[in-house]
Amino acid sequence: MGDTVTAGTVARYVGGGLVLVGTVGIGALEMALGASHPVSGEGQIEHGTLVPLEVRSYVILAGLLVWGAYAAYTTLTGTTGTADSGQGVGTRRAE
Amino acid sequence: MAASDTVSSVETQLLGREVSFAVSQPWLAYWLVVMRLVSGWWLLHAGLDKLASWPFDASWFVGGAAAGTSLGPFLTLFSDGLGLAITNVAVPVGQVLIGLGLVFGAFTRAAAFFGALLMTFFYFVNGETGGWAHGLVTGELLGLLIYGMIATLGAGRVLGVDAYLARTELIGSSPRLRRLVG
Repeated sequence: MGDTVTAGTVARYVGGGLVLVGTVGIGALEMALGASHPVSGEGQIEHGTLVPLEVRSYVILAGLLVWGAYAAYTTLTGTTGTADSGQGVGTRRAE
Repeated sequence: MAASDTVSSVETQLLGREVSFAVSQPWLAYWLVVMRLVSGWWLLHAGLDKLASWPFDASWFVGGAAAGTSLGPFLTLFSDGLGLAITNVAVPVGQVLIGLGLVFGAFTRAAAFFGALLMTFFYFVNGETGGWAHGLVTGELLGLLIYGMIATLGAGRVLGVDAYLARTELIGSSPRLRRLVG
């Protein structure tokens, strides 16, 4: 239980944190201080990004890997990870 | 209480703060099914389309587009020979199976996981080869997040085959198999 809670907490905060930093966090930084999007077309003024796009995509990829690793961990160990026992939302005819 | 009035109270902790909010049960069930059907059809259609115009050749993606991207070192392993032959079959068949799993709510969590995996490939390869010209939040990333939500919430239990599968002895007695259904 303790391991599951710890792993779940890490997955939520580290995985979600990296995805949010890569999308929203760096995105907001670029809007404010860098380039809202890379412009490199012919005849256009080129704007460099503060954080290389490659780095940004690696940050997001790392977050997704954390989520994926947690999904694999809970499946292989047979732990539910969350309060999910097959109860709750179910299919039954309304009274 | 009428079904349309029922609400569930979610009470948990997030970022060290107590979080409590009410969720309309009918609307929660409704959106789970809608998301499952639409996102399931997305991949089911993609897979059927490839099978309908067989043969399918993924070499342009795993060998061409993927090369030089962050996933290139992995994807290019399947760019020729046996790897490519397997990929040419696995992609359309996998898309059909994922789509069917989501549409019918069968082994929903497994289907959603592999749907998210496919979206990861599409997201990074399409995004990086396109220079992220439309930003880093794309349809593929949103699809990936929807599959993650479907897997997390176990959407297959709502009007899905998983509601039956979860009650079978085989699935019910195995925590690992239980994780694969919604």
